[in-house]
Amino acid sequence: MTTDTHKPDDPPTMHDVDKVGSLFVVYFVVLGLAVANILLAEFGHLGNLSLPVQLGIGTVQACLVAWYWMHMRRGDKVVTLTAVTALFFIFIFYVLVLADILTRWRAAI
Amino acid sequence: MSIVIADEPRVAAPPPPEPVVPRRNYLNTEYGVLSWLLTVDHKRIGILYLVSISAFFVVGGIAAGLVRLNLLSPTGAILTEDQYNRMFTAHGVVMLFLFLIPSIPAVFGNFFVPMMIGAKDLAFPKLNLASWYVFMIGAGFAVYAVLVGGIDTGWTLYPPYSSRSHTNVTPGVFGVFITGFSSIMTGLNIMVTIHKMRCPGMTWGRLPLFIWAMYATSFIQLLGTPVVAITLLLLLAERVGGVGIFDPAIGGDPVLYQHMFWFYSHPAVYIMIVPGMGVVSEILTCFSRKNIFGYKAIAWSSVGIAVVGFLVWAHHMYVAGIAYYSALLFSFLTMLVAVPSAIKVFNWLATLFRGSITFHAPMLYTLAFLVLFTVGGVTGLFLATLGTDIHLHDTYFVVAHFHFVMVGGMVLAYMAALHYWWPKMTGRMYSDFWSRASATIIFVGFFFTFVPQFVLGYHGMPRRYPNYPQEFQIYNVLSTAGASILGFGYLLPGIYLPLSLFFGVKSPANPWSATGLEWQCPSPPTTFNFDFVPVVVCGPYEYAIGVDQLGRGLPDPPGPGDAASPYRPVGPAGPIHKETEVVG
Amino acid sequence: MSASTHSPVLKHHFDNLEQQHSAERLGMWMFLATEVLFFSGLFVAYTIYRHWYPAEFQFASSHLILWIAGLNTGFLITSSLTMTLAIRSAQQGNRSALIRHLIATAALGTAFMGFKAYEYATDVEEKFVPGWIFQEEYAEAVADLSEKDHSTAHAKHNPVRELAKLNLDKSVNDPGYISPQRVQLFLCFYYVMTGIHGIHIIVGIGCILWLVQQAYCGKIPRENYSTVEVVSLYWHLVDMIWLFLMPLLYLAGGGLKH
Repeated sequence: MTTDTHKPDDPPTMHDVDKVGSLFVVYFVVLGLAVANILLAEFGHLGNLSLPVQLGIGTVQACLVAWYWMHMRRGDKVVTLTAVTALFFIFIFYVLVLADILTRWRAAI
Repeated sequence: MSIVIADEPRVAAPPPPEPVVPRRNYLNTEYGVLSWLLTVDHKRIGILYLVSISAFFVVGGIAAGLVRLNLLSPTGAILTEDQYNRMFTAHGVVMLFLFLIPSIPAVFGNFFVPMMIGAKDLAFPKLNLASWYVFMIGAGFAVYAVLVGGIDTGWTLYPPYSSRSHTNVTPGVFGVFITGFSSIMTGLNIMVTIHKMRCPGMTWGRLPLFIWAMYATSFIQLLGTPVVAITLLLLLAERVGGVGIFDPAIGGDPVLYQHMFWFYSHPAVYIMIVPGMGVVSEILTCFSRKNIFGYKAIAWSSVGIAVVGFLVWAHHMYVAGIAYYSALLFSFLTMLVAVPSAIKVFNWLATLFRGSITFHAPMLYTLAFLVLFTVGGVTGLFLATLGTDIHLHDTYFVVAHFHFVMVGGMVLAYMAALHYWWPKMTGRMYSDFWSRASATIIFVGFFFTFVPQFVLGYHGMPRRYPNYPQEFQIYNVLSTAGASILGFGYLLPGIYLPLSLFFGVKSPANPWSATGLEWQCPSPPTTFNFDFVPVVVCGPYEYAIGVDQLGRGLPDPPGPGDAASPYRPVGPAGPIHKETEVVG
Repeated sequence: MSASTHSPVLKHHFDNLEQQHSAERLGMWMFLATEVLFFSGLFVAYTIYRHWYPAEFQFASSHLILWIAGLNTGFLITSSLTMTLAIRSAQQGNRSALIRHLIATAALGTAFMGFKAYEYATDVEEKFVPGWIFQEEYAEAVADLSEKDHSTAHAKHNPVRELAKLNLDKSVNDPGYISPQRVQLFLCFYYVMTGIHGIHIIVGIGCILWLVQQAYCGKIPRENYSTVEVVSLYWHLVDMIWLFLMPLLYLAGGGLKH
């Protein structure tokens, strides 16, 4: 199949060519989020909220990059499965290590 | 419901004619050292791995022998304390990282995964060759470290001692770090191959159980190995840079190293055992002439072990200072991982039930696996239980448990695989008598070696100590005596297998009358495995109706008396019948 | 049909290009999964220590050079854009645009590494390096500060001396005491994380230059664009990891003014 005959209503395939406009939209959003992240950290005085906010912004950026630029939106199911599995095992890693760290008795240090 | 199908002759489909032995196969298509060192053929790379890890097995075995010899006397028979420390570390590092982890995945996985799913090669042949080179480079560092100068930290390399020990830790850690990449490459290759390169008709439900096991193994290799890589890198940074994140002097936490290390190294024992379980599933059903009992249960239990195996690592750390609550949690989770393992054992037993069992060498090794793995698995529960582990932690009980699972389980499964597939890999049959003898000797020697260690451990002899009280000597002598029997048993295949290359009878394509696709190629296979595109029409173990995966009939299985074929063992009973039971 | 069975880019053991390309992509994604777990070890460790030692992490983080981090973030995000544009050019069979975009990507990656090197050099100059460099500077600063006239204390100015001044007249258990040991712990993370990330960038630049060479020799025809895509997946992941490293390392100061 060639990209020329591909109609916009068809489900996305791997061979779609990205539109330059959409690539630049993603670019400016990701860049803007990065700037916002730095400005918020320097002048936002978010206190305890700052870490979740920073990581939240990072996650949004990462999702945008993965979804649009890494073409996850039109990839195989097994690609999505791979990505989700990796994140799930990081989750396990975090939860079980923190289960120890946060309940451990530590002398005053 | 159960239907007994027992009649003879009962031929569902005619067996295929013996394929013409091609003039060129993967072994003689090219000659010369370079044709091996630059090959991208998965089969040749499998052989490269086979030769290299056999060498490492000898190195690790010699280290083990020296450790056992030293323990003959309560004060150390032949080694100084320092040498003893270096020796058991050498044994651990070489056997675990250079033998057990690459053993079945890199040798038989490389060789047979493409053949069993009907592919011409693995998905990334060059990556496959690279993995062998990376492995050899890493192995070079590791072997250099443990043999020249040595490492005295034990294979677990716990800081802060490992970051300060004045032995050869740096190249050793670096070597292990590098071999990890080879493991990732192999796992990635096999995983992509299974996903993308199955032949027509080879659905997930028709995959041989060895493939399911390799899939689960690759899964662990992919997700676990990078974590130990970063851990070892941090350890190296600490050792070389003099300051690091596990360093208690600057507020670091050495227990964190153990968390990160065991996040990989506990699942790593499943990298070692799950392929063995796959091999056992293949061999048990073939030599029982019965369909596997509970295909889905065994397939999914492999995946279950791979996932649950990631949740249990801190049972190595109950007494290392982790929180009581998390110790409780990990104790519970560890119990969970026994469930899929037990599912497998029960299904294997049900497969054996009323089968027409023949005791050829692969089957003998497999039955030994069943016994020893079950003992090892059950004693594992003692260690999983928080209360008893505090008594048994770091004693010879742990050593015995681990060796029951790893040597009794994994090494025997490796030997079983080697004997099962040897005719396919080399086109030659080995000595039937000597192979059976070696299986028996290994089994007996194994029991003598490790049962006394359970007793020793229960009475409190700690592991990694060169000295012990007088009353433990009898058990240690027993164990060392058993180890020499075991060593003799391992020596035999080292003699008759190479001899079979020159003097063995030529093997037919399907010597065991097995159903898998790999037996449909000639022995030894041609470079691209299949001259035709195989189309799979049924499940992998249709022994009940006697058809292979291409829907063709099976040749007569090797019975204890089929005198017509000279390579088959001769016995009093005559050829066995295809008596089979279909349950369900 | 883009998937011709006799295409010169089809490798012998695949049935068709579709299978070959999806295998390559899946292989790269699986490799990325291992990469993510590789970094996750660092992230888990970082989380723990930040939880234990928040004040030290805040102090050390606020003394890193934020403007370089911000600039580098811009470089990387832009390089990801040009990389995606390179895929697009490859899909369209536009060789000169492909080469242009690849070179732009490699140049932006090199700029990242250049500023990174400048940043490391500045850190070393400021003795902001864990281990004996830090410890000697700290000990010297403490010795200078204990002199009555403070004349030499102002001779040099760097984060280590600032820390020594901050801890003046405080003992270990006082509130507000910032342990110099644990500041070094943060610095270990800083160097290991950015160092490993930098190695990944260098590998990525190498892969992109290899792509340039391939494209120049005409070995990346239109139906083989997935080679570019596979490298781009890796490059994007390295970019994504930076998007997390940047806030964790540079923005942990929480606006602490210095």
